[in-house]
Amino acid sequence: MSLIQAKTEVCPEPQTSTAVAFDVRWHVVVLNDPVNLMSYVVMVFRKVFGFPEVRARKHMLEVHEDGRSIVWTGEREQAEAYAHTLQQWHLMTIVVADEAY
Amino acid sequence: MKRIEVKLSIPVVAPLLDVIRAMAESLKGSLASTVDVESIDEDLRGAWIDDLLAAQNRDLDVLLALFDEDFFREGAILLDEENAEVITRACAAVRLRLRSSQLSGIDDRVMEQGNPALDDLPESSRKALMCYVFLATMQELIIQHLELGDPD
Repeated sequence: MSLIQAKTEVCPEPQTSTAVAFDVRWHVVVLNDPVNLMSYVVMVFRKVFGFPEVRARKHMLEVHEDGRSIVWTGEREQAEAYAHTLQQWHLMTIVVADEAY
Repeated sequence: MKRIEVKLSIPVVAPLLDVIRAMAESLKGSLASTVDVESIDEDLRGAWIDDLLAAQNRDLDVLLALFDEDFFREGAILLDEENAEVITRACAAVRLRLRSSQLSGIDDRVMEQGNPALDDLPESSRKALMCYVFLATMQELIIQHLELGDPD
């Protein structure tokens, strides 16, 4: 009889799980309305986002012709802040999660 | 500070002020544009709307204050970099309310193409339309002359 008894057990694999939390990005989307002047919409985009004239006009034309334009994308809190400001300017604005858009 | 003095015809503008005041009154309890709060945190929705409404009413008060006793004496309003932003927003609010109320019977395409036939409209809508155009002109004046688009 051996003095040393070796016992082999199979250790179960350590249970690990990795949860990757992706940050959802949020879009600020301006919708078309038939009332506000084109020059007004351009002015608001320049004022609120600091867009140069050309970029502001591009978004305004998207709103006018396509009915909507994504004017900003990023974190939810900032997206909501922008949406609130645009709504103060009476532009129809929604905040949409990237995954849902 | 940039400022512009706008001379207006009192007999033409005075009747329009009644329309503006009526619209401002109707806007006291509701927002001029549709606000979708579906994506906003449920707890924040009430405060969100209240805040917009308070801002809208402050803007409208500034617009109405332009047409004070001095205006009726001299026929002029003074626009500057301090009040321009607020007045432009207030004009937008009144125009939106006019469009959704007294001018709701006019087709969007007709409105976008320019002047709908005034003669075909009832008196109340005619006045509302003149008011709608007058406020747009004020917005254009401010945007062109006070370089409102420049970020702060």
